Amino acid sequence: MSKRPGGQLATRPLHFIWIADCSGSMKDDGKIQALNMAIREAIPHMQKVASENPNAQVLVRAIKFSSGAQWHISQPTPVEDFKWVDIKADGVTDLGKALSMVADQLKIPPMTDRALPPVLVLISDGQPTDSFEKGLQKLMDEPWGKKAVRIAISIGKDADNNVLQKFIGHNEIKPLQANNPEALVNYIKWVSTAVLKSASSPASQAAAASPVAGVQAIPVPTVAPVDPNALVPPPLPVDAAVAPPVPTVTAPIITNIPIPAAPVEDAAVTADDVW
Amino acid sequence: MGNAPERHTIQWHAIGQSVRGASHVRSGLPNQDAIDWQPKSGDGPPLIVAVSDGHGSPKSFRSDVGSQFAVEQTVAIIQELVAGQPATISLSMVKRAAEERLPQEIVRRWQEAVNAHLRAHPFETEELDALETKQGGAARDTVFNNPHLAYGATILSILVTDTYILYLQLGDGDILAVMPDGAITRPVPGDERLFANQTTSLCSHDAWRDMRLRFQTLYGVLPALILISSDGYANSFVNDDEFLKVGVDILDILKTDGVATVAANLPDWLNDATKSGSGDDITLAIIYRSDIPATPKKRTADSATPPIEKKELEKFPESPDAAPQPPKVDPDAVLEEELGATSPIEEGPPAEIVEETASTPPPAEEVKPVEVAEETPDAPPQETPVVTPSVAETTPSPTSEAAAATPPAPRRRRRRRIKYTEGPLEPSKKLPDRFYED
Repeated sequence: MSKRPGGQLATRPLHFIWIADCSGSMKDDGKIQALNMAIREAIPHMQKVASENPNAQVLVRAIKFSSGAQWHISQPTPVEDFKWVDIKADGVTDLGKALSMVADQLKIPPMTDRALPPVLVLISDGQPTDSFEKGLQKLMDEPWGKKAVRIAISIGKDADNNVLQKFIGHNEIKPLQANNPEALVNYIKWVSTAVLKSASSPASQAAAASPVAGVQAIPVPTVAPVDPNALVPPPLPVDAAVAPPVPTVTAPIITNIPIPAAPVEDAAVTADDVW
Repeated sequence: MGNAPERHTIQWHAIGQSVRGASHVRSGLPNQDAIDWQPKSGDGPPLIVAVSDGHGSPKSFRSDVGSQFAVEQTVAIIQELVAGQPATISLSMVKRAAEERLPQEIVRRWQEAVNAHLRAHPFETEELDALETKQGGAARDTVFNNPHLAYGATILSILVTDTYILYLQLGDGDILAVMPDGAITRPVPGDERLFANQTTSLCSHDAWRDMRLRFQTLYGVLPALILISSDGYANSFVNDDEFLKVGVDILDILKTDGVATVAANLPDWLNDATKSGSGDDITLAIIYRSDIPATPKKRTADSATPPIEKKELEKFPESPDAAPQPPKVDPDAVLEEELGATSPIEEGPPAEIVEETASTPPPAEEVKPVEVAEETPDAPPQETPVVTPSVAETTPSPTSEAAAATPPAPRRRRRRRIKYTEGPLEPSKKLPDRFYED
């Protein structure tokens, strides 16, 4: 073969960021242990899914927040090398700070515009103790923050689902409610596999699926054991302006990342509530 | 009538290739890109080339058909546009007609083709079931509400005539113009909304509004090469700079090895890119001026590829606008003038050296193809570029000696500047005209 034209080839980066609550309340009832275990168990599944799409380079990192926020695993680590380091719980719930720090990392650069949309997974059991809105705004001001696949898992019944809902930014998608360790494992595994798989697909999706620009067509994860088809939001009227999180673009835009339905029939979800 | 357009006798040629994406192979999806050009020989002007990228979403489960319609209809419509233009029409009228009619007409005709296909081949239960399995019942409803979605695709196209080049684009992908000196421009204005795999689409409501056009009159230095690619290509490179190297590299390979080598290697290049890069389908159209002077290159005796440029050149007389120049002008000199017009770096290889190289035993020293001006006997700007022994001395290359041994063709040089009639057009804001059917 004659010299291949063009410079260096590369698969497309897919940044996957765990945003983990390690406030003091996470010490209660083994929440933090359950979270550590759930993520640790999910890694092999994550690696397997990633290996099935060699054209996406899955890069994982983690940020933790309590009193302030801190990158727990700061380097975007290739998933095949990713190892979970247990987090410890202590302090308050400075979620806003964490989102602000994530926003810094989603700027272009260090991100590239050819990346696949990042996946942000927020796991929390409580109320933010700092300016959550400010952090969220900073995140949403970044193009990649806006385009990120944002999933939230609430641990126990004390979590502020309104906050998590705002983070998700899409009325049709609800926070995943984990009331016991089994459910948490289940959801963590789901985001590590099904969501990751969707996000790593290079497929673009057509406009009518998303009548309002920038809105991702994401089926609603729900914990109710119902017909899987009902997990998906009802079709949005093609010309209707549903309140979109990002209504700034006027023309129809094709979006990608259809998020698969969350696991609902799993026995874990119906286990007794612990939290 | 306005002033008469400047006409060029430059010949253009198109080749292209589309490969199925590595991830499509894994998931069993077809190649959803399409490419077409007219005339089928690839020789112009007029020359029309179109590339389309069908969306990969499960909802766009017929996008391979949609992209095929996109290129077919676009090529046909532009052909009609060209055929319907009187030879004396002013460029401003052509431009206006293109801007006002093409976006709506392309979208309308694409939709018509889709509708006809739908009538002949209604959605099958299996298709819809497969969609529902992948994305749920809502996805099924969504496609029902907008069946065009199943065929969703982008369109990128150019028309090259002897007086202008028209570029148009709806959705993602890249059109690159590579100037003779290797400078690369994107003639079509960018659309910042095309981010994170988002694209505008032929299946969108009011899709014509998102079409971006650029009308470029052929004054001064013309692009040596135009590339049209689906986004799977650019996404296969680590960044945009690495992608843009494609333009210079292909120009160099065309110069040194000829189009046959490019055509023969194209499938491997693109397959390599999708495997090591995006995984997406990749389509690349290469539209090049057949008067690109070849660059000397180290060759083995049996690998000397006849420079197609020479062959093409012999067919065409000098440009009519070369009249004020010395009367005895060979065709090589004409193209030299074109290429040398703005960039000293390109003033290097007189076309006559091409011939010598092709028929000369391989030089002992390696001649690097990339930097033309460094490798070849270069004439000082603005001087009669007769290749003399003294010039050859400055560049101790067997090639230049061979060139020096041959009576040099006279070279002329004119300075012209690139002149566009006006800046690029953003997506049309004009109201729908008679072509638009809601």
